[in-house]
Amino acid sequence: MVPYQCIQVCERSTNGSHEWILVGASGSKLVIQSSNGATRTWAGEDKYMNLKENETEEPPEKKVKLSSPNEYSPTFSCLAISNDKQYVVAVTAEDKCVRVFQINSDYHLHEISQRCMARRPCAIALTSDDSTILCADKFGDVYALPLISPAEDVHHESLADEPNEAATQKQFVPAASLLTVHSGRNRKVLEEQIKLASKGRMKTKEPLQFKHELLLGHVSMLTDVVYTTVSGRNYILTSDRDEHIRVSRGPPQAHIIECFCQGHEEFVSKLCLTTSGFLISGGGDPYLCVWDWLKGRLLEKICIRTAVITFLGEQPELASTLPHNTEGFKIAISGIWSTPRNYNEVNEVLVVCEGVPAFFYVRLESPAVVETVPLNGNALDIAFISASESICTAVVAVDHMHKPWFTTERRADEGRGRLQCFECRDGRWGQDRKLESELEWFSRRAPDTDGERRDAGPALLADDSVRARQKDEKAFRDVLYGVEKLRKRSGADEQD
Amino acid sequence: MPGEPAKRQKREQYKKSLTTDESKHASLPQKKFYRQRAHANPFSDHLLTYPISPEQMDWSTHYPAYTIRNDKEENVTGDSHDQVETRSANGMKKKVEIADIGCGFGGLLFALAPMFPETLILGIEIRTSVTEYVQEKVRALRTQNKDTGGFQNASCIRANSMKFLPNFFFKAQLGKIFLCFPDPHFKQRKHKARIVSYTLNSEYAYVLRPGGIVYTITDVEDLHNWMVEHFERHPSFERLGEEEQENEECVAVMRSETEEGKKVERNKGQKFVALFRRLDDPPWPSEH
Repeated sequence: MVPYQCIQVCERSTNGSHEWILVGASGSKLVIQSSNGATRTWAGEDKYMNLKENETEEPPEKKVKLSSPNEYSPTFSCLAISNDKQYVVAVTAEDKCVRVFQINSDYHLHEISQRCMARRPCAIALTSDDSTILCADKFGDVYALPLISPAEDVHHESLADEPNEAATQKQFVPAASLLTVHSGRNRKVLEEQIKLASKGRMKTKEPLQFKHELLLGHVSMLTDVVYTTVSGRNYILTSDRDEHIRVSRGPPQAHIIECFCQGHEEFVSKLCLTTSGFLISGGGDPYLCVWDWLKGRLLEKICIRTAVITFLGEQPELASTLPHNTEGFKIAISGIWSTPRNYNEVNEVLVVCEGVPAFFYVRLESPAVVETVPLNGNALDIAFISASESICTAVVAVDHMHKPWFTTERRADEGRGRLQCFECRDGRWGQDRKLESELEWFSRRAPDTDGERRDAGPALLADDSVRARQKDEKAFRDVLYGVEKLRKRSGADEQD
Repeated sequence: MPGEPAKRQKREQYKKSLTTDESKHASLPQKKFYRQRAHANPFSDHLLTYPISPEQMDWSTHYPAYTIRNDKEENVTGDSHDQVETRSANGMKKKVEIADIGCGFGGLLFALAPMFPETLILGIEIRTSVTEYVQEKVRALRTQNKDTGGFQNASCIRANSMKFLPNFFFKAQLGKIFLCFPDPHFKQRKHKARIVSYTLNSEYAYVLRPGGIVYTITDVEDLHNWMVEHFERHPSFERLGEEEQENEECVAVMRSETEEGKKVERNKGQKFVALFRRLDDPPWPSEH
């Protein structure tokens, strides 16, 4: 049983009654619990069925992988719920796949599409009309994919971003003549290409077999993407590993950059719009930035590091891990969520830092207020259930597997739950035991159907499986704790 | 470069002599001490220094003749932090308006400087040694032309323009961008490393003012076609017609004054030129 790396709440009213559905990704499985007590697990069961139906759509190597005995199940890295509350959009990391699930009336998830991208998706967002998934990838590009794949996908040809691909496939023409003046290296590449072409082995990548449109791109790994509408104008906000936050117009004018929000000195990992429209961003810096993002104007920096240091210092078992001089102490903000309501007209967000067993409640008053709420384990993700007009409940996914404040060391007491619930009354967060007990199955037992592959002892497994398992574990840890890794290491490559 | 200590030592001695020996202030640097391999990976984290935003870029060391001196002294005392920041933005009489991206040894830069004596021109180069060469040459040419004030409008920075252009330039700040003989990156896998791509063109459009022009030249036909295709596909640009292109005063200079251009000339190779004009942004879709 592994922690929930992502959770989402889907709240909807059907037939006049309000209900919520909690969706969690635990490793390679999706777990669901609804407010009326239904519990479901998706562990890839209808994957095979799907594949048979759409056999022609799948590249051959994919099928081989799935039918092999050591078939691995890829880890979920992102979850999103459509605005109409009918679909779950998920990304699996190892196969770079964008998957769309329909939430059936009996709360089963039905996977309706798998679209494997060329580059690993880092963040996804949906347009407000739910027509389009915005997929931001590791290479810095944002692609638009229709939420529901059109029927003609199989025969889709022209690709927006690789227009000359078809031409290259037809016949290779050397890119330069011998008259071309360039470095020896370039010349070697060219000679190699000519040689390969003469043998007819010019390899070109197989284009993606589904509709996807390149909207915009940074020359840096993207970390988050947000879609929003202000006074009838649509915007895409993107953040990257190089401190940038870009504000672009929404499609069909996504090629127009309106402005940049400049102020971060380290990578940006999360973007969050508050209820009244401010942008809050955070990442490798000690602070959050608050933006009037339409103007690219930095309004305020709110220090989170101080709160982290104070919190750690107060924990008897953690205080000793703090350095004497906290000057260079680094935090990596890994999550920012706007609460569903703004109490007393105040903008507020919850913030978590990678590997820190607490969440921070930040109110944008003047001056900003940062309060700390301790957790049983490192905070992984937060989702909200709006129980009533005045109360808001946060469901927090915590890491029960690793020691608090550690990202690799396993803890001895793994028996704790994977969820903690808190409700906010009059600006105070208190534990919500009632909801926690309602979510007992989700927190401590799900998923029911489980090849306990990750937990099985290595002795029981063949060599291949051990390797596969180690690979799995690494992939999983990268999904859980990948934010600090975005930080640049100095002196990597000066003179090359 | 390990295994060549003598070379490194010679370079260091030479570079030191430039700064310490006053008699050498006006002598042009020698290229042989500044050669560096032609490729740099635009995706890697070079140890670059760049401002957080254009407001915070200090141009005064690059264009000392264009700083507002008196203003600076007055403001220093009793200044709040905010004001210090605005001062560095306002501390210049002019802003850079011409950028030569991947300027190499600066052939074009030094040809453009006297053509546009009232315009600040900036060369941007990712290779450290090559940047140093251009900076030394700027210094030498300024010393040589002390009487006329020539070359005060030319300078060079080390930067990765593919990542950090918006850190140096405000929206619509530039009038001309030159992309001369860029690395062709033949490998398909490396096409995203090319200096022109549909997505990167959005950043050129951001820093260019409407009516501004991107100049491209290459001796690699395939790359030329690539650049044309990617700019023509981008709705913020239109290609200039043949006649208009040849009437542009910079085109001849671009053909003849760049180092690569001269090499191609010697090899009797071909040169492919294409110019693109930054168009006005259209109204928002819902506001036609």
